Amino acid sequence: MEKKYWQSIEENQPDYKPQPEESGASTMEILTNETNSKSTSRRDFLKWCGISFFSATVISACENPVKKAIPYLNHPETITPGIASYYASTYAEGNNYCSILVKTRDGRPIKIEGNSLSPFSMGGTSAQVQASVLGLYDDGARYKYPVKDGEKTDWETVDADIVSALDKAAEDGKKCFMVTPTLVSPATEKVLQELTERFPALEIITWDAISYDSIREAHQQTFQQSIVPDYHFEKADLIISFSADFMGTWLAPVTFSNRYSTKRRVSDNNKSMSQHIQFEAGMSLTGSNADIRVPVKPSDELLIIMELYNEMAALTGNPVFSSPASEYDTKALASKILNNKGKTLVVCGHNNLKAQILINGINHMAEAYGQTIDGGKPLNLGKANAEGLTNLISQAEMGEVAAVMFYKSNPVYNYQRAEELKTALDKVPTKMTFASAKDETAQLCNYILPDNHYLESWGDAMPKAGSYSLMQPAMQPIFNTRQFQAGALSWLGKGADFHSYIKESWRSDMFPTQNQYADFDQFWINTLQAGVFEVSTNTVFTPALETIAISDALSVLKNQLNNAGSVQFMVHQNVALTDGSNANNPWLQELPDPVTKITWDNFAALSPKFATDHSINEGDLLTINGLTLPLAIQPGQAYGCISVALGYGRTNAGKSADNIGANAFRLLNDKSFPWNVDAWEKSGSGYEFARTQTHHNMEGRDIVRESTLDKYKESSKAGNEVRDYHLKHMSTLYPEQEFKGHHWALMVDLNACSGCSTCVIACQAENNIPVIGKEEVKNRRIMHWIRLDRYYAGDLENPTVLHMPLMCQHCDNAPCENVCPVSATNHSHEGINQMAYNRCVGTKYCINNCPYKVRRFNWYKYAMNDKFDYNMNSEMGRMVLNPDVTVRERGVVEKCSFCIQRIQEGKLQAKAEGRKLKDGDITPACMQACPSGALVFGDLNNPESKVAQLIKDPRNYHLLEEIHTLPSVGYLTKIRNPKA
Amino acid sequence: MKKNHSQTPQKPIGKTTFLKVFITGMLSLVIIFSLSSFLQTESQIDSIAEPETEIADTLAEVEENLEALAEDTLALDDDEYYILDEEFAEAEEMDFVAGEYTTRQKRIGERLFNGLTPFESGLHNCSSCHYIDAQEEMNWNPSAYELAKIWKETPEYNIVEIMNNPVSMRLMEDHKGMNISVAEQHLLEAYYTEKLKRGPDELQAYPINAAIFWGLGILMLLAVVDLLITRKIPFKGVHVLILFVGIAVHGQYVMAETQRMGRTQDYAPDQPIKFSHLIHAGENEIDCEYCHFTATYSLSANIPSNDLCLNCHNVVRNGTNSGTFEINKIHKAAETGEPIEWIRIHKLPDHSFFSHAQHYKVGKLDCTECHGEVETMHIVKQVEDLSMGWCLTCHRDNDVDFMDNPYFEIYHTLHQKMKNGEIGAVKAADLGGENCMSCHY
Repeated sequence: MEKKYWQSIEENQPDYKPQPEESGASTMEILTNETNSKSTSRRDFLKWCGISFFSATVISACENPVKKAIPYLNHPETITPGIASYYASTYAEGNNYCSILVKTRDGRPIKIEGNSLSPFSMGGTSAQVQASVLGLYDDGARYKYPVKDGEKTDWETVDADIVSALDKAAEDGKKCFMVTPTLVSPATEKVLQELTERFPALEIITWDAISYDSIREAHQQTFQQSIVPDYHFEKADLIISFSADFMGTWLAPVTFSNRYSTKRRVSDNNKSMSQHIQFEAGMSLTGSNADIRVPVKPSDELLIIMELYNEMAALTGNPVFSSPASEYDTKALASKILNNKGKTLVVCGHNNLKAQILINGINHMAEAYGQTIDGGKPLNLGKANAEGLTNLISQAEMGEVAAVMFYKSNPVYNYQRAEELKTALDKVPTKMTFASAKDETAQLCNYILPDNHYLESWGDAMPKAGSYSLMQPAMQPIFNTRQFQAGALSWLGKGADFHSYIKESWRSDMFPTQNQYADFDQFWINTLQAGVFEVSTNTVFTPALETIAISDALSVLKNQLNNAGSVQFMVHQNVALTDGSNANNPWLQELPDPVTKITWDNFAALSPKFATDHSINEGDLLTINGLTLPLAIQPGQAYGCISVALGYGRTNAGKSADNIGANAFRLLNDKSFPWNVDAWEKSGSGYEFARTQTHHNMEGRDIVRESTLDKYKESSKAGNEVRDYHLKHMSTLYPEQEFKGHHWALMVDLNACSGCSTCVIACQAENNIPVIGKEEVKNRRIMHWIRLDRYYAGDLENPTVLHMPLMCQHCDNAPCENVCPVSATNHSHEGINQMAYNRCVGTKYCINNCPYKVRRFNWYKYAMNDKFDYNMNSEMGRMVLNPDVTVRERGVVEKCSFCIQRIQEGKLQAKAEGRKLKDGDITPACMQACPSGALVFGDLNNPESKVAQLIKDPRNYHLLEEIHTLPSVGYLTKIRNPKA
Repeated sequence: MKKNHSQTPQKPIGKTTFLKVFITGMLSLVIIFSLSSFLQTESQIDSIAEPETEIADTLAEVEENLEALAEDTLALDDDEYYILDEEFAEAEEMDFVAGEYTTRQKRIGERLFNGLTPFESGLHNCSSCHYIDAQEEMNWNPSAYELAKIWKETPEYNIVEIMNNPVSMRLMEDHKGMNISVAEQHLLEAYYTEKLKRGPDELQAYPINAAIFWGLGILMLLAVVDLLITRKIPFKGVHVLILFVGIAVHGQYVMAETQRMGRTQDYAPDQPIKFSHLIHAGENEIDCEYCHFTATYSLSANIPSNDLCLNCHNVVRNGTNSGTFEINKIHKAAETGEPIEWIRIHKLPDHSFFSHAQHYKVGKLDCTECHGEVETMHIVKQVEDLSMGWCLTCHRDNDVDFMDNPYFEIYHTLHQKMKNGEIGAVKAADLGGENCMSCHY
């Protein structure tokens, strides 16, 4: 089968001609724009030469400033200058949960790593988690002290005010509300419980911007159990997802990525894998990994769910209800599911109660409960009450509300009725926010009581029943902030000490559930060190389906569909910004979207055919239900559906987030069919995206190798047959290089890699990679050391997608090395393509000669430069920099180093301990962060290492092997399972 | 076809033009290089003596200060040195208002300290033991500036009482029989305020190199002028010789200075505490690792924290050489919570990552191989130049503890060869010790 691969839409047009690399503005234009039409004559040049020669002489004469070495007064035991300490902690913001290790150097956190001891997150992380450390040092956006009516105040005053306000409200018979998201922390919930007991006027509203409450409610209605079950993708042979981006953003993406990938790995010993079918409107990260992807607009999706339920009911002898017919062959799907009874998992990403009820019915008939769905240990998510804020608004309008507090919630930004909320809040005399950094809700509050960053906080978390983890501070609070829970405790008159509170809470709740430790202090210290704690629970979930709920759901959905219009929209979260709470993180803003590769923007995605039919082009501005967005044409988008990402359009979040994109939360509504586009029109054109996509064109070469499971079963070399040819024709006049000691290599399993881009941020954090901003991304100067190439293949309207992480290939025959005139890049004894920054003179010959285009040039000085006003331009933002990696100067080339600092550290440790280096002692940042274990790094000269075994796998191939660069990075052929 | 070109006759470069160009060129070269050399010497004075002085503290200011100092001390007429009685009488009558001492009072105070005016008791002056300025060799007694500082910082400081303080045996013994009147005390205090205002001591440097450079430069200029204009010396060989030697010496200086750029060999700054490695590591044989303990497992070898000093100095409060004066600084830091700001001596160039653990623990190098015989130094000096060439020489020449560390078993071939006796030793360079990314990443 000859597949045609293409990267951009233009390329798929019949009259496509490859554009030169730097299309768009020419280099001369860019330079001219930058210098603002300043012309430099030869005379000026000579003058500057003279001046710089003179000043260089003078400056060099004034060298060697006195440096001081200031030791500690009392050396803290845990800090050793020059060595990192790791603290186990927990990241639990919004729906994102990870058990983590915080790497600190000289007392400041610089990097987040996954905690492999956690049975829930299994050592994985997400881009959000990796980037969260930057938020700690965001001095531009973080609140630095408590504020009352715009004036700086102190905590005592604030506490007195709060207590008196709450007591007075109780006397006056008025209400006080506290808005919180779903909390996974048992101790925090306990504190809130105590608060409501002490202050009867206080009512807690649990409200999520991205809510999963319908899953909980659906289980209540169908099985009388208010739970969000745990989904075991690793046990499913057939995964059917309706718009659930479970590897990107849905419920617990880190955990699900890991589980999903275990069932997708194939090897000579295990030639079986799951099949993944995705129904969705926009191209999500998860959808791009599906074996069969069906682009459908929301109304059709509901239709398919209804029909699928009925088909299955018919086949299993359950009552069948009437439903309209869909265009999709649901009969075949139904029988496929029933053939895989107990091994099927159906998930739905819509927070639509009725749809979720049907999904429960389908899963029940597929006997998924107890097999692929675990109701015994449910997830601790989706506890929001949809009515909460409505209630708040109506009571506030009546003047019944004395005070409102916002904890970790920002409804003025991400609540669909934000405007009503704003007017209602005008009638509330006391408004408090505990936001740790700037947000839209805080703008309306008269009290700003900043919470600590999570890296400065104590806490605990229960992501799912029986799984606990602890959060401990990795540093003292930088500013005069106070943890919310500590504040709440002081209102209760218990003293602002949340640490002791958690300890006591664990003493009474967790300690008795275990029998490993007899002494609580031992238990506490060990749990704190491990970060996680498991309780074995034996709750059995035995579902019994309520058919009344089903019939009701079907009739309601039928009515809903009657109102469906022809053009619909869909909002989704993208993996970088998710719900927008971390939008002021320049790393995340510059992370290319895994599918569209657009940075620094959100957009309206439309299918190519729809755009042609309505004569609109990429870059046109569309106004959809009053929201104006630039149009991006997205292959695989459902016809007649516009997809928009949430999380953009912040107005008071900080310099990196403000006024980037439009706020898609405004599109949400309570209408009977909420996805209708009532009105859309073209309101402009010529918008230019900062895409990283088109500048790495592979020019039709054999880069991506993939095959199907059936073919793979026949031959392990399926899709990789061409390799034999290349190997046979490989010859050289030069002697083969010998690596006497280590020979480092990296293997990428394309079957496990989902393209989630966590590695990109991990690499950025580890290697001090600068943020360059939208304009420079447009100039194709992105600095990431790893890029995720995304290729489309096949039909423009429904292509298959392939993700390929590409870092420096560390070729043993590196083309870049031969062309460097100053030998700034050369080969090490251990197979690493080295880069000596202080030797580089910036000729960029190596960049031009690199067949993989992985080398990056520092066009500017990115640190301490007002033109690049991101984290490296502030004293505090630079604290996140890794002291083990040089911050590169303007004019030098850089690229992936295989995290040489980690290699050196690992080797040194083994040497110092006088032992052999073990496989797994050294993990580069990308491998450490990967939630699905797609990257494997190791020593090829160690026959026991995993990488040495993987490189012998018949699926292994090297990029552009035919040019004999001998890369040290290998890829395992992608195997799909699209069998009907 | 022959084309007619309008031919402008090529004008040979005239003698005057050549002269102009040559002289300007030489002049500017001389100015640039001599300025650079001169500034280099001077800036070292700056940096060695006073960390807080900013680089902006230019040469001119330093000179001005020195001149003013000289004037201040010597401005009095010769006669005045001998009108002692008058001075004493004057002192008796003087009004001493703390913080508002007159210039005259300050001057007399300075002269008292320096021994230009003897004390009333007729004995001793201060400066024979307490130096006025920092010196290259260790002087255990606090300098004038340090005395002034301690006077300023200590409330109700009484010079006489301190001098005869029985707590410190040395102080009392050294100052035995020295009587200072109340008026003299005030005069000294007046000098102290002046000393504090002037800032800390400055180490005098002798810019011999700069002098040679300048001298040769002028000589060369003269030679050129004489060669082309004045023509006083008939033998051209003299000019040529001067120019040859001059250019050679200048070139050598420029080379040397450029290579030294950023390097601080022989740097031996005055530290805030007169801490002697000779006494601690030499005489008392304290192991290096006792204080610099992280050298075994960390990248950096720590400078001991204050509490580590106190392990001993909680008990040892009276030094053999410096008495309580220096040791008190540790206690003061512990009390005030202000750490001691040592001046860093050994500093590798930027972009290089060096691990003490790698070299000391794994490589089993002795500290002295890089730091010199520190146990023989009162004032620590940087012995090696810490250049990349110096690093690499060692990597090429030194044997690695290859067979004893199981880590190196991964080097199968080398291991086998060593076992068979084919090679005698393995050098660091054989194991990647010359790779860029061993040190630069």
